[in-house]
Amino acid sequence: MFGLAVRSVRRRATAFVATFLAVFLGAVLVMAFGALADTGAATGVSDLDQETLTTMAVVVGGWGLLLVAFAVTSTLTLSVHQRAMEIALLKSAGATPAQLRQMILGEAGLLAVVGALVAVPFGALSGRGLLALLKRTDQVSEEVAYAFGPVALGTGLGVTILAALGAAVVTSRRVAAMRVTAALSSAAAAEPRPKRMGKARVIAGVVFFGISLQLSVMAALAGPEGFDAMQFAGSADIMFGLGLACFAPVLMRWTTTLLAGPILRFSGASGYLAVLNLRQRTAQLASALTPVILFVGIGVGTLWMQVIHNDTTPLSGVSASEEAVETLNFVITGMIVLFACIMLINTLVAATTHRRREFGQQRLVGATHRQVLGMVAAENLVLIVAGLGFGTIAALPTVLPMSYAKTDSWLPDPEPGLWLGTAAVAVVVTLAASLGTARRVLRTPAIETVARAG
Amino acid sequence: MTGSQTTRNAPEATEALRLVRVSKTYGGDGTRVTALDDVSLALPRGTFTAIMGPSGSGKSTLLHCAAGLDKPDSGTVFVDGQELRGRSETELTKFRRERIGFVFQQFNLLPTLTVLQNTTLPLKLAGRRVDLNRARAVLERVGLGQRLDHLPSQLSGGQQQRVAIARALVTAPSVLFADEPTGALDTHSARDVLTLLQESVRVFGQTVVMVTHDPVAASYADAVLFLADGRLVGRMSNPTAQAVAERLTYLGDEVARQRRQQRHQVGLDASVATAGRPRKEI
Ligand SMILES: Nc1ncnc2c1ncn2[C@@H]1O[C@H](COP(=O)(O)OP(=O)(O)OP(=O)(O)O)[C@@H](O)[C@H]1O
Ligand SMILES: [Mg+2]
Repeated sequence: MFGLAVRSVRRRATAFVATFLAVFLGAVLVMAFGALADTGAATGVSDLDQETLTTMAVVVGGWGLLLVAFAVTSTLTLSVHQRAMEIALLKSAGATPAQLRQMILGEAGLLAVVGALVAVPFGALSGRGLLALLKRTDQVSEEVAYAFGPVALGTGLGVTILAALGAAVVTSRRVAAMRVTAALSSAAAAEPRPKRMGKARVIAGVVFFGISLQLSVMAALAGPEGFDAMQFAGSADIMFGLGLACFAPVLMRWTTTLLAGPILRFSGASGYLAVLNLRQRTAQLASALTPVILFVGIGVGTLWMQVIHNDTTPLSGVSASEEAVETLNFVITGMIVLFACIMLINTLVAATTHRRREFGQQRLVGATHRQVLGMVAAENLVLIVAGLGFGTIAALPTVLPMSYAKTDSWLPDPEPGLWLGTAAVAVVVTLAASLGTARRVLRTPAIETVARAG
Repeated sequence: MTGSQTTRNAPEATEALRLVRVSKTYGGDGTRVTALDDVSLALPRGTFTAIMGPSGSGKSTLLHCAAGLDKPDSGTVFVDGQELRGRSETELTKFRRERIGFVFQQFNLLPTLTVLQNTTLPLKLAGRRVDLNRARAVLERVGLGQRLDHLPSQLSGGQQQRVAIARALVTAPSVLFADEPTGALDTHSARDVLTLLQESVRVFGQTVVMVTHDPVAASYADAVLFLADGRLVGRMSNPTAQAVAERLTYLGDEVARQRRQQRHQVGLDASVATAGRPRKEI
């Protein structure tokens, strides 16, 4: 009995850790940029400095905000769905839908508040680091004093907590409305699997595409001089990536259809199970697609944009400020790409850990470790192909207009090394996180992993 | 046939299952439960054995250990004359695929697979040719011919249980373990399933070991083993439902008596614990 309790706490812990991590890192990211706005708003800061700081806070912080809201929402949704069985059990024991909603909301709220509060000192430190970088690259004058205040705290705490609560409200309503019997008969099949995409998702996706298009147009028209094109093009990939993320389940389904044939042909029983899972559980497997798309899209987009910029700036004209902007670009991209990468690992670890029981059932029917790992690898291969394909597409709204603005040609010089490097990181991270977790999960004897339901 | 072993407890070539002094304990300090306590038994090939006992007496644990799904703390298990101990998990899995079928108390159907896909999965995993006609025929026999493309979540408990039975039968294992295979079934479907199990013994020479709480189900078996507190406490050949029911009623008293006996006479073992020997019925 005690073993069971420990296992269940541990299983829930992984779900909680994932949400906590998303909130924590998201809050750090948002607070760091929020602090720039606070710094700019202080009295005694010159107009020029103030403009630089505010622009950066609004533009970069703005995308960050969206990204974080997205990450928190998707991790929390995943973790609530993973508890469908437990929630159904509570329901069958007499908990009313209102009580369940309160419970989910309470847990999400608590987790978000704690995560965001813990993030405060780290956000303050990161903001200080960013300001130091701006000073060192001469974007901001030396005498500007660092301030960490209402904007940083307001946005940092606000976006994470609101995103968590918003996601909790929507998800808890759906989970609480689920039939008890459906949830109990098998947790996995009972996870809500809407046939068609929600209207809100479609609208959000279209809005993101629209913003991305507008940024692209503005970048294309910005002309070859200075950083104007870069300023607009730089966020077009993020917007497009978020737009694609709204359609993640559909994209995953397309890719599955495309790859099902070869997988079934070449990978035996593992591939057979992988394809069935991909078809039946598109939504769960698609939850990891968003971070891959963002990672590849932003990584390729921003790096390529910088290459185009460098190539078209005459060597003699390379000033200290050029280098500074490059450094800044890399740091900011780095922060966002790192965030996407951690979210990817986070999602894969949480989702794979949750499949402990499913793996156990397969092993009991005669699947070897190798076959289970083969299945996980085949599923993640589809994820990788979709992520690389659509991530590359997400990079285009940044790269194409940038090329047009700088060279009058829509097509930039190909950069295979850059693409391969980003792709390699995505592949290694995805496979390491999912297969590493699966391997760890397989260490528990199969009979123990299925013991809990009875 | 497998070559006979030269160990001290070498099983006969005609034996499907042999357990030698198998013990299993769960939990740590304070919550320690002895699920199996020095259990020894031997079942000939082509026999149908029922295992009965109060809830928590260790029946499922016995089946899991016998089928190589769980490792005993001590003791040895031979299936089809082959020792299970000392094999890697992959070796055990491959061995199980070939010779062992298992119907789980909780069914353990894969939720993303249809009835037919669940049934043929063991063959797919083993890389064996999937004979769809045979799979359909088995499903037909358990009354699920019309449900081939349903998902487990769309089935009743009893229907899921029958899928689990079909899945265990489709590989034609030499030993079939079934943990309360009729627990979720009505009298009529239960009779169909029991007849099917009996047939697999009589016609195909398979060995069936079935846990049940139902004296009527037990009466389909050739012999019943009684388990209490993790120990074998009795055996009945050619059981009738009535005799089994009576025996179960007395089982509680018997356990109490044995506990008293054990307190007096410490070295008690084989006489009661060896199930191979028929006992005079009460
Ligand atoms: N995984 C486990 N961890 C801890 N204790 C366990 C575990 N599995 C079984 N036990 C304990 O071992 C004992 C035997 O359990 P088992 O499941 O074998 O009983 P059973 O005879 O099959 O009962 P039932 O008729 O209710 O299915 C019980 O006391 C149970 O609490
Ligand atoms: Mg049991």
